[in-house]
Amino acid sequence: MEKLLEIQNLNVQFDIFGAHVQAVRGVDLELNIGETLAIVGESGSGKSVTSKAIMGLNPMPPGKVTGGKILYNGQDLAHASDKQMQKIRGKEISMIFQDPMTALNPTMKIGKQIMEGLIKHQNLNKHDARARAIELLSLVGIPNPDKRVEEYPHQFSGGMRQRVVIAIALACNPKILIADEPTTALDVTIQAQILDLMRDIQKKTGTAIILITHDLGVVANLANRVAVMYGGKIVETGTLDEIFYHSKHPYTWGLLSSMPRLHAKTDKLLAIPGTPPDLSDPPKGCPFAPRCPYAMKVCQDHMPDYTKVTDTQKTACWLLDSRAPKVEPPKTVVVGGN
Amino acid sequence: MGKYILKRIFYMLLTFYVVITLTFLSMKLLPGTPFQNAQKLTPTQLNTLKHYYGLDQPVIVQYGKYIWNFIHGDLGTSFQFGNTPVTSLLFQQFPVSLDLGIEAMIIGTIIGILLGIVAGLHHGKTTDWSAMILATFGFSIPSFIFAGILQYCLGVLVQIFPVAGWGGPMTHVLPVTSLAVGVLAEVTIFMRTEMVEVLNQDYIVTAQAKGLTRSAVVFKHAVRNALIPVVTILGPMTAAIITGSVVIEGIFGIPGIGKQFVSSIITNDYPMIMGTTELYSGLFILTILIVDILYGVIDPRIRISGGHS
Amino acid sequence: MAAAQGEITQEMFEPVGADKKASEQISRKVVSTWGDAFRRFVKNKGALFSFFILVFIILMALIGPHLNNYGIYNQSLVRSNLPPKISALSWIPAFSGKENGVDIYQQRGVKQDFWFGTDQLGRDQWDRTWAGTQISLIIGLIAALADVFIGVVYGGISGYFGGVTDNILQRIIEIISGIPNLVWIILLILIMQPGLLTITIAILATNWVAMARIVRGEMFQLKSQEFVLASRTLGASDGRIIFRHLIPNSLGMIIVNTMFSIPLAIFFEAFLSFIGLGIRDPQASLGSLINNGFTILQIHPYQTIYPGLIISLLLICFNIVGNGLRDAFDPKLRR
Repeated sequence: MEKLLEIQNLNVQFDIFGAHVQAVRGVDLELNIGETLAIVGESGSGKSVTSKAIMGLNPMPPGKVTGGKILYNGQDLAHASDKQMQKIRGKEISMIFQDPMTALNPTMKIGKQIMEGLIKHQNLNKHDARARAIELLSLVGIPNPDKRVEEYPHQFSGGMRQRVVIAIALACNPKILIADEPTTALDVTIQAQILDLMRDIQKKTGTAIILITHDLGVVANLANRVAVMYGGKIVETGTLDEIFYHSKHPYTWGLLSSMPRLHAKTDKLLAIPGTPPDLSDPPKGCPFAPRCPYAMKVCQDHMPDYTKVTDTQKTACWLLDSRAPKVEPPKTVVVGGN
Repeated sequence: MGKYILKRIFYMLLTFYVVITLTFLSMKLLPGTPFQNAQKLTPTQLNTLKHYYGLDQPVIVQYGKYIWNFIHGDLGTSFQFGNTPVTSLLFQQFPVSLDLGIEAMIIGTIIGILLGIVAGLHHGKTTDWSAMILATFGFSIPSFIFAGILQYCLGVLVQIFPVAGWGGPMTHVLPVTSLAVGVLAEVTIFMRTEMVEVLNQDYIVTAQAKGLTRSAVVFKHAVRNALIPVVTILGPMTAAIITGSVVIEGIFGIPGIGKQFVSSIITNDYPMIMGTTELYSGLFILTILIVDILYGVIDPRIRISGGHS
Repeated sequence: MAAAQGEITQEMFEPVGADKKASEQISRKVVSTWGDAFRRFVKNKGALFSFFILVFIILMALIGPHLNNYGIYNQSLVRSNLPPKISALSWIPAFSGKENGVDIYQQRGVKQDFWFGTDQLGRDQWDRTWAGTQISLIIGLIAALADVFIGVVYGGISGYFGGVTDNILQRIIEIISGIPNLVWIILLILIMQPGLLTITIAILATNWVAMARIVRGEMFQLKSQEFVLASRTLGASDGRIIFRHLIPNSLGMIIVNTMFSIPLAIFFEAFLSFIGLGIRDPQASLGSLINNGFTILQIHPYQTIYPGLIISLLLICFNIVGNGLRDAFDPKLRR
């Protein structure tokens, strides 16, 4: 597999109200051509900040990249100028946002919002750009596209608006599509449609997708590989199967246990007690230690290194150390009776 | 949309009707008699006068007559200026005041919008708060004090501009500036708030994510959306301009309605007061109507759904 | 990390489990809305400074006229148009009692000091200026009361009950605000005599409209929010909802808007007095003092400068304090 994007030891910090919030603390990630990588975690785990760092869309200030690289085509996006990033954004890497109700400019026609990127990156004239916009609208499944290009966002429903947002993102055939919680704000029935659409589009265009979500259902639906983030760090990465069936990290177990299931043995949803760490004063050791039922003394002061479980799976947990007691994942983790 | 406009026009006419009724009533409630030097008149003379003005008839008849005359553009005759019809006096002075008001409004609005955009773009930085301090001063200091300072500094101490009068372009500078400062300050503060708000919207991030240049994001997406609500302060601004012109015209000796209004009140020229009051209210109500319609035209969200409440 | 690995020993792998206390700990201090707003206001140096200037002006308005015994109305043509003189500060040209290099006090044989000078009739400008400031402050107070007792109640009723009540109340407001304030006041002045009472009535009649609109909007927004619905579900009465939920939640905004309507009213009184329709001689108001000074601005500028300075300061400071309060109460800024 060929690497498309590589993040090396990325650190992002926000200086807000005198505190230095270290939202991302040494993240390593890679994205291969044509695959879907899911970044999973609770709110505040740093997953959104990581994805926005790729696009250079974190507000700076107060945000700043304090270390690391984001390599794309030999170019370091973490330290690229605004001019250089303008050539990347929308053309090479695109983004879909969480809330389609606010992501579109309310006073600009849908067609024009799609055409902007085309005119900028592909030097199309207005007429050709409009034709392409109509083509894109029909690609994302909007009926009567030639009429609807002339309409405004408020004339579209939530699901339809998300389709428009996807059309804007796809306009210039980007190599990478970053989807930041693309279905969170939508109705359940619409969620499925949008996920189908994204899978469909990936099949047609071969775009690699970075999927940011806290919803493991969405992950199971779409992802090839999964990275689990907690407290600004990646605690475990692996293929979809590895994370769902052979995960080694107690936090991943917690996430899997808290997923509602139809034929569960108990009628209780297992929550992970406690709250995520305060990243303006990050813990020295494993960030999950205070909430981890298997925590040991070592976890509180020492951050575990990654252990290579398989060629594709890496886990940062002291339980994998030879000196640690053997621990079995709780029964609730075993997914869907498989 | 058509129905909405009709509804607004109906409310406008209703409000205006209330205004002219109120002016009539306050005329009826006046203490004593509306005639100057009433003491010197004999009772017969007084009665002749009263009869001439229809004041010996029942109030309701007078009211009907008043409305009838009003509709026909007859607002009575001025006491001050030897029975010249009020309407023709107003027609004569109104263009001067309109000229002054519109010049101040255009200058204040354009500079205010630009200053507001600049301040909003530099939110939280030196440019922003210096613009805000200036705007707060401009907003707070009464226009008559500004006019006084300008007149004294640029008309008396350094004699660049004429102290008073209304004629060539040089005579416009000081009064228009004095009047424009308040407008400018208000527009700046409003525009800056809108810019800051709009720049925090998600669709600005969407626009950036398309790879648009900073200036394209600012001008095509942010400024357009920030400008729409500015229309709504046009109403209060008209009221402020009217109020302001009353003093500014007095200070700079400009032969407009404002100056006339003050002297009418001081000399108890009731028909003139009534006429001016009605003109001011009409102007204000008309502006509010125009703002409502304009807002509907430029904001696509209202344009389609056909009106807001 | 490699160095850290070295110190790791076998006994450190003792299970301790989740630390219940640490994981449930709320990492930031709990601050009440009011405490938070206060803290933010105090941090705003401009607003705090303006607040102290206001306090100073208010104190001076109260005690200023008692610092000498010339009185507000005492006339004497012997001492007309005297420039300001403060013997202790006579090295400052502005307080030397001289005009164009001539010591007017000596020329006229006046022994006393007039700190802000005197007007055409020889009345003490110091006393008159602070008396005028008193008028401005009274007007501000009336405006604030009108806002709270008429505006809040009117808007509250309109917003809370909605429906037909709201419809009627809003039509009335539409008509009141469809007429410029200036016109309302002129109509009143025609019926009554110009003066403090007329201006007060005019303010009571018109100044609360903006507040009523804002409170109505706030009520509409608040009453459909979940916490109010929850309270209603639990059987809370109208009164309880209004006084326990709606008013406390809109109090910040009510305070902020009151702060903004005070300078508007003060300006309006000064404006009316300036054009001769407000407070009239021999009573003093900042507006009428400025108007009197204006006619002889070129010869005796000091007669305009002091009242002009105080009214400007008053308005600027009220607006800055209002801005400071708005920023302090703005929940969007709360973090």
